[in-house]
Amino acid sequence: MGPVELLHMSVFSQSFSPCGRFLAAGNNYGQIALFSLSAALSPDATTRSQKPVLTFTAHDGPVFSLVSADGRLLSAGNGEVSAWSWSDLIKKNVRALWTRRPKYKSSLEIPEINSMVLQPRDNSLVIGGGDNNVHILDLEHGVFKSVLQGHSDYVHCVSVRDRESEILSGGEDGAVRINSRLCKVFCARPQYGKWISCLTTDSDWMLCGGGPSLSLWHLRSLSPTSTFPLTGCQRQAAFHQDMILAVGDGASVSHCLLAGEVKAQIPCSPQSLNTLQLNTNSSEHQVLTVGGSSSHIDVFTNLSYRAFSLSF
Amino acid sequence: MAASPPALGPVLDEVIRKRLLIDGDGAGDDRRINVLLKSFTKWCNSSGTPEEGFTQRMLGTLAQCEFSMGKTLMVYDMNLREMENYEKIYTNIEQNITSAHEKITECKKEIQRAKRIRKNRQEYDALAKVIQQHPDRHETLKQLEALDKELQQLSHIKENVDAKLELRKKQFHVLLSTIQELQQTLENDEKSDNDDNSQECPVENGE
Repeated sequence: MGPVELLHMSVFSQSFSPCGRFLAAGNNYGQIALFSLSAALSPDATTRSQKPVLTFTAHDGPVFSLVSADGRLLSAGNGEVSAWSWSDLIKKNVRALWTRRPKYKSSLEIPEINSMVLQPRDNSLVIGGGDNNVHILDLEHGVFKSVLQGHSDYVHCVSVRDRESEILSGGEDGAVRINSRLCKVFCARPQYGKWISCLTTDSDWMLCGGGPSLSLWHLRSLSPTSTFPLTGCQRQAAFHQDMILAVGDGASVSHCLLAGEVKAQIPCSPQSLNTLQLNTNSSEHQVLTVGGSSSHIDVFTNLSYRAFSLSF
Repeated sequence: MAASPPALGPVLDEVIRKRLLIDGDGAGDDRRINVLLKSFTKWCNSSGTPEEGFTQRMLGTLAQCEFSMGKTLMVYDMNLREMENYEKIYTNIEQNITSAHEKITECKKEIQRAKRIRKNRQEYDALAKVIQQHPDRHETLKQLEALDKELQQLSHIKENVDAKLELRKKQFHVLLSTIQELQQTLENDEKSDNDDNSQECPVENGE
């Protein structure tokens, strides 16, 4: 990994292991690096413990999405989904359990997979891809169950509403579709475009943003309740306790209240951030990690300040 | 009194001799007891009248020694009591620490609950904002009632107009049918008149 490559590296996705002690991060070179959180957070951590314990090349293209399920790590890159076993990876044994490719219409151009999310109710994986469709893969049998069509441009992000078992998808065409029925098309900031790049739900509420400003919607009534005055396009957002955390273009994590005001903006080291993950799997390593257009991943032990950075 | 070992050098000899000279009796209380002992033996062995204040001096030194002993005993007692005190404080502090830990966990749970309540309240606020934008229910009901009434009125009027139309239609129908009948009758009459006339003419022509 030469210095030029490190300079051009972007971290696109992160996922915590089911035990909560390891973090997997995928970058634009198709590599996945495994970091040991327990080593990095322990009182006698050195700079070496902020380096990955394992780095391997998972795909040809960038790894845009990582999802942990059931003791397995699912990674998406260049049109295919691969599964790796967490216990194998922790023992540094790199071996893909399986690799699946959704049925694409044309075999000439392989669209990338932008986002994956797990639907725990029926143990399936929802994949949003560059071919404007949302594919659903049944994890038990390993076959693609169905395809949701309807977007006229590629799908950036998917999210599931567990209780009602609905799938929300947002795409480049500016539309947010629920189960591929059109729900909202809106364009609040025409200078950035109308693409929706971040979508997250909290059963009754939905956050979406991207080109248009980040806004909070009430899903039952399908009405927007508040808009957040954040400059720049937001790439990922999450609900955390009573706040909303959003990352995007600026070099900071924004903490916002549900009412629509921005409470705080915490600066980070990458210039623009792509991914945000909260470790809910472990009680002693409850950290927030953000990664973006640099080879560093910032770790927050207290949400108000950056504790340290892991680097590829 | 340590005896100088003859194997060591003369320097050590000198040092030891000097120490014994200066510090031969020991320091402080030890020295006092030693001095007292020496003076007592001197007093016992002295024949004849001793000096004037000799006994006084010895009694004084004795008193000093007793005083010093009493002081040390008290200090020892005090130390024992201090130790007990510290033990008590130590257990107290340990208890405080555990109770503070418990309080901390309680407070953490409280804060989680409070955060959830706050989040719910914010959600209510957001929904309330949306609801405010819609018009009041009473107003809408009133509007609905007014519209209903209007609708009823209009349908009433329509019924009236329909009934009138029917009536007129029927009247005109009656009129028209009467006219037609009259026409028929007149035509019939004319026809029968013509027939009569044409029957008379051939009789005249045939003469």
